[in-house]
Amino acid sequence: MYEAVHAHPDGDSTVARLAKTAADCGYEGVVVRNHHDSRAEYDAERIGEEYGIDVVEGLEIRAADPQEAGGSVGNYRTSQTILGVHGGTNAMNRFAVENDKVDVLAHPMADHGDVNHVLVKAAVENGVRIEFNLSGVLRTSGGRRVRVIQSLRKLEEIVDYFDAPYVVSADPNSHLEVRTPRELRALGEQIGFSKAFIEAGLTEWGRLAERNRRINSESFIEPGVERGRYEEES
Amino acid sequence: MKHLPKHLQPRWRYLAVGIESWPDASIDRRAFQRECWYAAQNLLGDPGSARADMTVVRFDFDEGIGEAMVQVRHGETDSARAALACIDEIDGSPVGIRVRGISGTIRAGEENYLGRRGQDSEERNVVFGNEERVAVVCDGSADVRLDEAFTGATDLDYDLP
Repeated sequence: MYEAVHAHPDGDSTVARLAKTAADCGYEGVVVRNHHDSRAEYDAERIGEEYGIDVVEGLEIRAADPQEAGGSVGNYRTSQTILGVHGGTNAMNRFAVENDKVDVLAHPMADHGDVNHVLVKAAVENGVRIEFNLSGVLRTSGGRRVRVIQSLRKLEEIVDYFDAPYVVSADPNSHLEVRTPRELRALGEQIGFSKAFIEAGLTEWGRLAERNRRINSESFIEPGVERGRYEEES
Repeated sequence: MKHLPKHLQPRWRYLAVGIESWPDASIDRRAFQRECWYAAQNLLGDPGSARADMTVVRFDFDEGIGEAMVQVRHGETDSARAALACIDEIDGSPVGIRVRGISGTIRAGEENYLGRRGQDSEERNVVFGNEERVAVVCDGSADVRLDEAFTGATDLDYDLP
């Protein structure tokens, strides 16, 4: 299971500290998802070796409008393993699900954003993972939390109907906000998500990273065409 | 009043909880108990909170690291775990809370999960982000004091001056 984190300078803890905490919590990997205007400097391989955890390089594109986001997606696609889009407005949600270069639409329901069947169908078509962001459940209370839970449940109904791909994250901004998979499963059960649903969403980050690494590797040419061993021998 | 016969006494489970915060945080037992009740009430509602009946029975917190034992009704451990996960702040200090394990008796919980306090933390001058800072270093982790707040780091992130 993987957790997707905002590291310093976006959050309050460095990638290394988040990786260390996540490893203690029983995660197999962390996905760094800093916003592209405050990127973290880190050595993913060294951190991964030190704490025995897979560190995935990622980025979350935060832009005011789709034109701006389009440029950033093109710029960072080749250098990052996982590329997300900071959702929350209807324009950005739509941009993300209609772009097959995007891996994850992050928190589409935040800040009064909304998702409907058209967007989810587009996400299925383009393989864009829709994120279930539990940060609002973990770190707000009262009426705001009620609305967050309502929107997550609405999203779950649509995603479930179309069998759309999704990821789950607690979206920690510091090592103090990291919660173990077991706690997230227990929390999910309280707000109406099954344990299997939460677990699948946490695992999906890892599958996504593995797929993108294979695509970005040199032996991959296009789907179904890969450079094999036979070329070296001839 | 005469105590209940044994088969009518409530059955409890004890959650051993690790608490983590920034080095300048001070949290007492009363504040932690209050947050437990609030978290349970907010997430589980009044009936759920009454069912779980969370009570802090052991508490120790010092220099940003602590541990506690929370007594919960048998069968309500999952909802208690969810409620504990929702505690993100105690008395204005952000906290990280992790359930280390669950036991049937206080003593077993203490022996298996508590009292594993590592080495003591020490203050040290470090170079972090090309500037010299003061950091509270403990067991490979370091909380670096920036101007107003702390930043969580590890020994991979800083150099010694």
